[in-house]
Amino acid sequence: MNDPTGFGLAFGAYEDACAMVGTRTDPVVADFPVDWGMVKHFCAMVHDGNRAYWDEEWATQTWGGILSPPAMAMTWMMPIVWRPDAAEVAPRLAAQVPLPGASLINVSNDAEFWAPILAGARLTMTEELVDVSPEKRTVLGVGHFVSVRSWIRTTPDQQLVATITNTLFRFSPGSTS
Amino acid sequence: MSGPGLGWEAIAVGDGIGPVVDEIDYRRVIMSPATTLDYFPGHFDPEYARSVGHPTIFVNTMHLMGFVDRVALAPFGPTAFVRRRTIKLRHPVYAGDTITATGRVVDKCLTEALDALPLRGVVELDVAVQNQHEVLCCEARIRLLLTLPGPLPSGPRH
Repeated sequence: MNDPTGFGLAFGAYEDACAMVGTRTDPVVADFPVDWGMVKHFCAMVHDGNRAYWDEEWATQTWGGILSPPAMAMTWMMPIVWRPDAAEVAPRLAAQVPLPGASLINVSNDAEFWAPILAGARLTMTEELVDVSPEKRTVLGVGHFVSVRSWIRTTPDQQLVATITNTLFRFSPGSTS
Repeated sequence: MSGPGLGWEAIAVGDGIGPVVDEIDYRRVIMSPATTLDYFPGHFDPEYARSVGHPTIFVNTMHLMGFVDRVALAPFGPTAFVRRRTIKLRHPVYAGDTITATGRVVDKCLTEALDALPLRGVVELDVAVQNQHEVLCCEARIRLLLTLPGPLPSGPRH
């Protein structure tokens, strides 16, 4: 089936998805370190003038470096979508769950932060599929709720900085049954 | 740039936050994938967005999390730390929308330090974001850790 999301969605039956619950990935190291330039662009998007994101001298004295906005925790683990060696980008765990739906939308996110994430840090992430719901009907269509828990750590010291449980709705657009 | 923020004694359960108004034009929506590397086409391709039931492109989750974090942290200053944020996404924020965030302090207490951070006070807030039609777009509960200079103040502990 064609995947217009670009996320490399796997397709299959609900029973196939249930069989994956409990699957945990090996740690994946981020393609790039936490980047102050990207922090500033993100803050420009949300109009956030927090000094911890903009004032290097103050942030270094207070936090030990420029702070990453906590909302960017997952950004630092986003894969680069093209490589000169044409290597395929491995889909994130949520995309690997085989289900019928060809689209998705996020519905909730529960994030705990255990330590500051500072510019320059290289992060690593482990994911676990924690739940796939039975079929549900919403205004967008019929589908399943998929929950993935992530552990984000710094490298090389493996300090846990964030645990995040994200739930998305994987659905067939316009479906009614 | 952000100021120093409220002192511990000035914070009370029930205190209101906002309203904070933000106009979301197409550029702001396109900044979602540009700044978070989330290339889901619903955030940059209006034709795709319409094909899956939306009127146009919409901001991503990280954008909304960044907005509610900004709203929650602003009164407490840049030494406050987001310890936990739970967000429920109720309705997309589309290009052309104007969103308004309001919040309230729902808890204030003391806690033991994280390994990585010194002893802090805890403030919990509820933040809700509505669009121009007063439709609830998202709601969040955010727990902040605050710097408490000097001796530990008295008060309830978690």
